[in-house]
Amino acid sequence: MRILASVLLSCMLVSCSGRDRTTDMQEVVVAVEGDVDTFNPLFAEEITAGEINDLLFPGLVGSDFDETTGKLEYTPLLARSWEFINDGRGVLFHLVTGSLWSDGKPVTARDVQHSYILYADHEVGSIRQSAVSELRRTAGHLDVARSVEVWNDSTVIFHFEHPYPGQLFDAGLPILPAHVFTPIAPAELRTHAINRIPVSSGPFLLASWQPMQEVILTTNPACRIPAPARLQRLVFKVVTDYRSRVQQLKSGEVDIVSGLRPEDAGQLDAEAPHIRVISTAGRDYDFIGWNNIDPDAYTSNKAVIPHRLFGSATVRRALTMAIDRQELTSAYLGDHGQVAFGGVSPLFRWAYHDSLAATGGLPFDRRRAQALLEQEGWRPGNDGVRARNGVRFEFTLKVPAGNQLRSVVATAVQQYLKDVGVRMKIEMVERGTFWGEVMERKYDAWLAGFSVPLQMQLEDLWRSDLEAYPFNLTGFRNSRVDTILAATRRLADETAGRSLWREFQLIVHHEQPCTFLFWINNIVGMNTRVGGTDIGVLGTTHRAWEWHVNGRGPKAIAAR
Amino acid sequence: MTPVGTASALARFAAARILLAIPTLFGLATIVFFLSRLFPGDPATLHLAPSVPPAVAESIRTQFGLDRPLAEQYFSWLWAVLRGDFGFSFSHHVGVREVLVRTFPNTLLLGLATLAVEIAIAIALVYVAFIRPGKPVERLLMNGTLVVYALPSFWIGILLIATFAYGLGLLPSSQMYTSASAERSIGDLLQHLILPATAIALPGAAALARYLQSGSTSLLHSDHLVAARSMGLSEGRIFRSYVLPNAAASFVGAIGVEIGVLFAGVVTTEVLFSWPGMGRLTVSAILARDYPLILGCTLLAGAVVVVGNLVADLIAAFIDPRIRTRS
Repeated sequence: MRILASVLLSCMLVSCSGRDRTTDMQEVVVAVEGDVDTFNPLFAEEITAGEINDLLFPGLVGSDFDETTGKLEYTPLLARSWEFINDGRGVLFHLVTGSLWSDGKPVTARDVQHSYILYADHEVGSIRQSAVSELRRTAGHLDVARSVEVWNDSTVIFHFEHPYPGQLFDAGLPILPAHVFTPIAPAELRTHAINRIPVSSGPFLLASWQPMQEVILTTNPACRIPAPARLQRLVFKVVTDYRSRVQQLKSGEVDIVSGLRPEDAGQLDAEAPHIRVISTAGRDYDFIGWNNIDPDAYTSNKAVIPHRLFGSATVRRALTMAIDRQELTSAYLGDHGQVAFGGVSPLFRWAYHDSLAATGGLPFDRRRAQALLEQEGWRPGNDGVRARNGVRFEFTLKVPAGNQLRSVVATAVQQYLKDVGVRMKIEMVERGTFWGEVMERKYDAWLAGFSVPLQMQLEDLWRSDLEAYPFNLTGFRNSRVDTILAATRRLADETAGRSLWREFQLIVHHEQPCTFLFWINNIVGMNTRVGGTDIGVLGTTHRAWEWHVNGRGPKAIAAR
Repeated sequence: MTPVGTASALARFAAARILLAIPTLFGLATIVFFLSRLFPGDPATLHLAPSVPPAVAESIRTQFGLDRPLAEQYFSWLWAVLRGDFGFSFSHHVGVREVLVRTFPNTLLLGLATLAVEIAIAIALVYVAFIRPGKPVERLLMNGTLVVYALPSFWIGILLIATFAYGLGLLPSSQMYTSASAERSIGDLLQHLILPATAIALPGAAALARYLQSGSTSLLHSDHLVAARSMGLSEGRIFRSYVLPNAAASFVGAIGVEIGVLFAGVVTTEVLFSWPGMGRLTVSAILARDYPLILGCTLLAGAVVVVGNLVADLIAAFIDPRIRTRS
């Protein structure tokens, strides 16, 4: 017993002294929830892996988001300049010369071409395959070696089927070293060891990776795409528990935590002078999905017939009007969110429907909601629950487990709907099960969230062909919306589609395929000693090569 | 019995237990294989964004044989396992064996530390109760163990973090080593071990203490203890020399049972403390529908419990010949 006590005491004493690590090293520690799955951009699915791979493997162009116009602006990375050719159907890129891979080989246009061959290869099965869908086809077939043409070592031309807004975006995928990947059979890439020991060319190099613990990047002094990182080390520390991430930010163990909850943001702002809270208008929205079609008919024989409860747009409008979304937003998000009325993010100012935004879409109006339900034949029964032709208006709302905000919002919605005679049960479902079943269109209603892409491309969520677009989860079908989405995709200048996007929002507003609840800001807490950051829509580690440290190491603050 | 006879009896005992373990593990793997396939969703679709073409999901399914009939998948998996191939982890992009090899030692370390803390606390508690029989302190200790036994490790972990990591700032709240540390010292590791090991150990220690206490109470008025006291031996000496050895066999048996409980505690506690071990791995594998990894984790966990019980039984049989005679 004495021995045990001595060991514990010694550890604590060592702890008190050992954790007070002060350093002048230019090092920043970012706390992340999940680990890296692979250091190969062909397959990286996790958010952390995506951010790290962007720092290791720069593409031809980088991007910045202009918050004033709501548009993406492209900046040089591997390409020092570019020009549109062939009536906008091609882009000619002039590459930075003298750039090297971490094994000393030069970065050339052949690397660009081979990367796109891999992205397009079905056998590879890259998750970024859709980026090559608009490349020029030859006799109906995609031959990437011809549509991504190597002019010389420092010049590459992308040939597209037609001009469209996302040409530079699609040409900006991370570039991989051809000399490393060429000898590997496509089918073996997913399981190959190269995914863990990357040969890279970006401003950071992978120094070490302790799976499930941390990833350490160091500056790449030879980098010319765009320049060596100013930090000596950038550490991604895996801390799975949210509360621990917040506490470690407070104590100075880590420098940056994203995904803070609004209540913690307020507390950190008030109580932790060394923490700067950055709240970025989000690309994420929460919504209640109403299954517009009958789930049993669809799952049994793909028949599309209106849902017994939610098949009518009038009913869906009534349900939206029964829920005080402004109150929910204020109560649970405060200044870190705003009421949503459609799938176009307020970030895209040029496309956002201002007059709809001014009212927040359909207003909260319980009487009007009741009147609309009456109009559709849903009359209150003896127990207050509405019914029509013997069918009671009751259903179960499925909610993915593990999200505190959605749990409380579901409970509030339950009360709002009860007030208009609609009985809703709530069932929490494990996340994997939830998404599996929602994709199979098995649910009547669910509460979930989506993140919109940086490009205004919403076809995947709203096109009527439910087989080709399985992420149209509500089963919403509208031919005019199909036309609008197809048309906007082919505009060379996306802002030219402003009126089309406004019409799209009006249709969705009228049809209410789902009840949009709110847009959620991404809240990042950052130690004030970290400078040069550009945290915003493009992620926490956007342009991390410009970060620097004003002061001593992260543990200095925790010194006691 | 001669030493040779003892060894031979122990070997027979061990062989019988190992033979019994094989169908146990086989049954476990079979049940988990088919249960895991009952979950909705599969690894090919779970992580894919709307922009990913359905063809990619199909390609992944084909590449890993997820499009083949379930029975065929089962037998090919079983055949591969018999050859030592546990398959490929979809979520970690490496072989399951590699994931387990780098993760299991961390859990083993946490498990052994937990077991050591459990045993130390249990013996200390019973010792205090033994030298103060019938006193309030004995009643307090023994009733207190009931309360602690009922507490989940996860909850104890939260209390420990709040107190020792954030309140007093004495110990780190997560991971195995201090982040970004250039040197990975044993001292640093021990600091990180204390809180998770204690969180898992406390309920188990309470259970072991009650087990040991019941054994020691029955000895309290036995002839040989009365004789020892009449010889003027101290209570501490009596406890070490007579009580502990007499209760050892049943105590070791209880530890064997405790190994299974301990493994269950590891699952939630590793997530809370960001400990890079099997518990956290299993949770993430289930969420990601990483079937080969789920099966690998299950088989390994099952093997640990079986081997742990076997070792405990062997020790108990070695200490107490009556056990191997009965077996």
